Amino acid sequence: MNEAHCRVSIDGRIIEVPRGTTVLQAARQLGLDIPTLCYLEGLKPQTSCLVCTVKVIENGRARMMPACGTPVSDGMVVESETAEVAHVRRRALELILSDHVGDCFAPCHYACPARMDIPTVLRHIQVGQLSEAIATIKRAVAIPATLSYVCPRPCEKGCRRHYLDEPVMICQLSRFVAEKDLTSDAPYSPPCQPNSGRAVAVVGAGPTGLSAAFYLRQAGHQVTIFDSAPQPGGRLRQMIGEDAGRVPIDILDAEIALILRSGVEYRGETPLVTSEQSGLTLTLLTRQFDAVLLAFGEQSQGFYRAIGLACDNRGLVVDRGTFQTSLPQVFAAGSAIRGRVSVARSCADGKSVAECIDAFLREGHPRNVTEPFGVRMGRLEKEELDRLAQVAARSGKETPPQEWDIETAREQAGRCLHCDCRALPVCRLRQYAERYGVDPNRYRAQRARFEIVSQPSGVIFEPGKCILCGICVELTESARAPLGLTFIGRGFDVRIGVPFDKSLEEALGELAAQCVAACPTGALSFREGKPQLTLPILRVQNLSSQTSR
Amino acid sequence: MSLIRGISDRQSFPVGEMTANAVDRGTATVDLNIVDEIVERCGRKPEAAIPILQAIQAHFRYLPQEALERVCQLTEIRPSQLIGVATFYGQFRFRPVGRHIIHVCHGTACHVKGAERIQEALERHLGLRPGEDTDPEGLFTVEKVACLGCCTLAPVIQIDRSTYGRLTPAKIPRVLADFLHAQSNGSHPSRGPSAGDFEEGEVRVGLGSCCQAQGSAEVYRRFEELVTLAAVPISIKRVGCVGMCHQTPLVEVVPRRGKSQVYAKVEPDDVPAIVHRHFRPRKLWSRLRYGLNRWLDHLLGDIDEDALEPQSLDVRDPPVCAFLGRQLRIATELAGEIDPLSLDEYLAHGGFKAAERAVKEWSAEQIIEEVKRSGLRGRGGAGFPTAEKWTVVRKATGEPKYVTCNGDEGDPGAFMDRMILESFPYRVIEGMLIAAKAVGAHEGIFYIRAEYPLAVERVRAAIHICEERGILGDRVLGTDFRFHLRVNEGAGAFVCGEETALIASMEGRRGMPRLRPPYPAEFGFGGRPTLVNNVETFALVPWIIRHGAERFARLGTATSKGTKVFALAGKIRRGGLIEVPMGITLREIIEEIGGGALPGRRIKAVQVGGPSGGCVSEALFDTPVDYEALTATGAIMGSGGLIVLDNTDCMVDIARYFLRFTQDQSCGKCTLCRIGTRRMLEILERICNGEGRAGDLEVLEDLARTVSAGSLCGLGKTAPNPVLTTLRYFREEYEAHLRGECPAGKCSPLIRYVIADQCIGCTLCAQNCPVGAIPLRPYRRHAVDDAKCTRCDTCRLVCPIGAVVVESGGRVVAYGPMAQTNSTTSPGGPTSASGGTCATLPQFVPLSEGRSGIVATATSQNSGRAL
Repeated sequence: MNEAHCRVSIDGRIIEVPRGTTVLQAARQLGLDIPTLCYLEGLKPQTSCLVCTVKVIENGRARMMPACGTPVSDGMVVESETAEVAHVRRRALELILSDHVGDCFAPCHYACPARMDIPTVLRHIQVGQLSEAIATIKRAVAIPATLSYVCPRPCEKGCRRHYLDEPVMICQLSRFVAEKDLTSDAPYSPPCQPNSGRAVAVVGAGPTGLSAAFYLRQAGHQVTIFDSAPQPGGRLRQMIGEDAGRVPIDILDAEIALILRSGVEYRGETPLVTSEQSGLTLTLLTRQFDAVLLAFGEQSQGFYRAIGLACDNRGLVVDRGTFQTSLPQVFAAGSAIRGRVSVARSCADGKSVAECIDAFLREGHPRNVTEPFGVRMGRLEKEELDRLAQVAARSGKETPPQEWDIETAREQAGRCLHCDCRALPVCRLRQYAERYGVDPNRYRAQRARFEIVSQPSGVIFEPGKCILCGICVELTESARAPLGLTFIGRGFDVRIGVPFDKSLEEALGELAAQCVAACPTGALSFREGKPQLTLPILRVQNLSSQTSR
Repeated sequence: MSLIRGISDRQSFPVGEMTANAVDRGTATVDLNIVDEIVERCGRKPEAAIPILQAIQAHFRYLPQEALERVCQLTEIRPSQLIGVATFYGQFRFRPVGRHIIHVCHGTACHVKGAERIQEALERHLGLRPGEDTDPEGLFTVEKVACLGCCTLAPVIQIDRSTYGRLTPAKIPRVLADFLHAQSNGSHPSRGPSAGDFEEGEVRVGLGSCCQAQGSAEVYRRFEELVTLAAVPISIKRVGCVGMCHQTPLVEVVPRRGKSQVYAKVEPDDVPAIVHRHFRPRKLWSRLRYGLNRWLDHLLGDIDEDALEPQSLDVRDPPVCAFLGRQLRIATELAGEIDPLSLDEYLAHGGFKAAERAVKEWSAEQIIEEVKRSGLRGRGGAGFPTAEKWTVVRKATGEPKYVTCNGDEGDPGAFMDRMILESFPYRVIEGMLIAAKAVGAHEGIFYIRAEYPLAVERVRAAIHICEERGILGDRVLGTDFRFHLRVNEGAGAFVCGEETALIASMEGRRGMPRLRPPYPAEFGFGGRPTLVNNVETFALVPWIIRHGAERFARLGTATSKGTKVFALAGKIRRGGLIEVPMGITLREIIEEIGGGALPGRRIKAVQVGGPSGGCVSEALFDTPVDYEALTATGAIMGSGGLIVLDNTDCMVDIARYFLRFTQDQSCGKCTLCRIGTRRMLEILERICNGEGRAGDLEVLEDLARTVSAGSLCGLGKTAPNPVLTTLRYFREEYEAHLRGECPAGKCSPLIRYVIADQCIGCTLCAQNCPVGAIPLRPYRRHAVDDAKCTRCDTCRLVCPIGAVVVESGGRVVAYGPMAQTNSTTSPGGPTSASGGTCATLPQFVPLSEGRSGIVATATSQNSGRAL
């Protein structure tokens, strides 16, 4: 080893790097993933977010240092993945989020029991991409057209537009897309994973069972549905009709057919019976199938006991996180465990339990399915709503059209305020928050005012999401932009600003795209071209620690 | 119009925008020629940004947008830099201000003595609505300042250049009226020293900032006036701070023959009597005229010679002896004896002897070796070994090198550096000169905060004189050594005391600290090796070189050598600026020098090291003054603030107070400090407001530790110290707050004012209540309407029998001052309001302080002492 090199130990691994290398660079050479927000390769380290904090031991002195700006020295010992370091990173993230104004996911998304990514669906409709729209819808709901006739539409009550004039007609739009799809030559059917070699029995062909079967089949499992009725549909069959609030029979049949066509087997007139009786018993099912889902609606405690499942005074014993019953192989969901619930809830449960069973089959043990991390700013004041509406493409109250066609649908979808974060799929703040299990409300801070600034060129700036990393300031500075961006003020009130009476557009100039791309959160974004969502968004509700202010 | 547009309106910095109540000000068009001249004078480089902004504000009294745009056209300074800088520093204003600016000091001493209530009283009196700072007539603008450095006079406000101390909310209307009255009479311009024959002796008038705040300038002027008028052959001399700030203004009369005499708390009207007592006019005509004047004065009752007696002081007098006896002056050597700006006097006392030795005889290595053997450590707070720093700068590659004097003393409650710069500018220059030789620098920069105009003025003058006399310049003391010095003024940012922020500020940027390493010693001003030392550190260097390292190292403890200057204030009998040998215990300082608790009070803690330090509880008062020992208590040596707290101080409130300060002064760069200090403050606010919850203390403590461990710079790392130490030593007070009680009776939402049975119905409380919360009921028991009460404390202070009490959690936590037995000797404390028990008469009890009664004489030869 020569003078120009340093030998450093990072989490017990030794690396030799040239003098002047930072701890972060050395760690990345070792393949260690130290989180960073304010660091951008090629720019001088900003050392402001402190999310990259590591413990550095040098000459017998231990200090918490930002890895991005700390040069290595010979003999330096660095700790990165320890509880102590994670604690500082977690607190840094919690502090940033305590001063964060914005929603990761839109209110409508949280209102929907199935967690449908409604804003994305609406954006697809708005630009006429109906095939993308149905694919997004079907990631959350297996029978959207059917559901749209009987859904109590909680999403529309959650819609922020509701406080402004009328909510976006999400349910109608969803029906329009789904029916358009059903009547097309090749209705959308998502691809299925290669055969897993595992078999699942679903007892009950109602909304829960059908949904679970749909997603389990997609996950590559062999699925058989048992039901006492000759035809699948469960309680949906009792809702058939042409009146408002009832499902047209051809819609129901078409959607069920689509599920069965994906490879799900249906065995009608095969009720589950107690062990004393002859017929389809739970013992038989557990012997023949790798997992069993009970989705047969409300049953008496006596029945559960009779088929061999434990009950307590609240009914069937079920782990609310994993849907697992007292028998490890047996799961239960929907009205079977909740009492009579809405069809929407049943659909959501079907999807969630499918995930749990999938995890059970692949990993051998059930896994709590958790909601993706998200911060919520809660209710907006009128003035804040107006700002949001100004940025949205269209505004004004829309009367529902007599006939839905692609034009009226696009117009209606255009009323969306896009409350969800434009940077959701790429936001590192959210990803790290999830990784470190942060509590964004630890400090009970009061939410700052919501602000949003839209520029004619399509650049959108949301100061509430700015973490003051300084990257955009540095980018304009190093490019010697004539006007430039700057920090304004000092301390807690520091924010990013443009000098004099100039606009953000003038300050960013040609650097706009570069700055938007470099922004670690959704503070800078483009109105159009929101990155496509890649995360699965559904899951069991267990939000107590994450529900917002 | 606004400075920044459209981006965010979280906090606006309007420029040129008229507020509704300021219509008649600043509407004139901005004369841009002035800006051109300013740029011509300050330069066009990026580092000229702060001086340019200061000059613009000095002219326009705020920063007009047109002027700023013009600056960007004329200079290399880009808009982003200029706006970033202008909005970073507290000094700069973006709105036209009232005709007079009232600075309300929120320093620690002022805080514990009720600055908050003074602020409220001002706002109420001027009719300011929340968020406003200027009254409807545009006469006064009220601004909070971190510290005016007059801690012994707390609480203090400054209106333009006039300072008013020892205020109570009730005095505010009178103070403003007095100020306006003095304005309409026109102020007297100060005259230069009169020439003449001074064979009869000299009169030394303390002209440090605290003395001036107490009216010493007026005393000085009266001496001059009288001496000229009476043609008394004496010299009137200005001297620096003496340190006995609790006795200001101080005047020492040193006759050619006979003993010298010290007078304390001299008022302008005392001057004729003092002069008359010691000196006689020489010329017959003058004597006659003087005699006539005196006779006339007598007739008018102006002179009462007997009244003088109680004001003169003596070092043999026990309290004075105790105040001075434990002190040892090195950095503040010759305090009160020499004219700060007289180079000859400084030279006569061995000044620049050390520099001469360093420049002419010693090698750089020899100097560093000597400093190393002395054991000197940085006096700025962290205590880094000085010689080690010098060695790094010496060995660092890169030219030119710089020597920087960190005079950005911003701690509320600390004014050591100000006093040293004001009183001993040559000593600091000499220290810098020696350091420059040692590290091989040829350029030095004083960074002095703008709130210290007198220090800036004197240092500038001293540099100028040194240049004229060949001490500074291209040939220092006739040698080939070259050293130039200049002054940079800070612009109101505490964080600039951090060395990397200080350098950023000198470079004309926002004063944001950066990660170290690299240290300024290797990569500093302009990327060059830069030595940054504190004022006091430099002031100690000449003594070490002159007297030898051994003598210095003999003082103090194993790891902390020499002396330390402290600003002693708070709830003690005698406050002031003291210099003590290291190793002295806190108890010795508080009990012996400070004179202990105020009558009827119990001292419970001392806050050491300002906002970065901690509260050391009484149980630990035997801790010696030593870097390591103080750190072990959870405090730090810091720059030297010592604020003594007694049973009337709420420790949660103290923690909140310091956190408010650091939170406000955070540069806003790193997450943990920017948001972390704010969240800690919010929790403390909740606790003080009685909204605390179980678990708050744990969240607070965890956050405090994290901020301390992970923040980027010294400010963030030390900001939690006051919280952590109070949680450590006074956790029961926090817990009491969670139960809804404030044991000290300080936290307004947790207390209420109650009038007890013994009320005699004198109506004084009702008459004085500024919000009419006490209905007037002559000869009957009064009652406080809790809904209207603003907790201004006036009623408690005026009640002649102490019937107004403060209740918290259902029990009485504070009685009125008159409830205790008579106490007249303590300056400053609320218990010292004069007057005994007034039984029946409804009369106004004066709130002014009584004068202390100490008599005797001193010799001027006693030079190791203060006077």
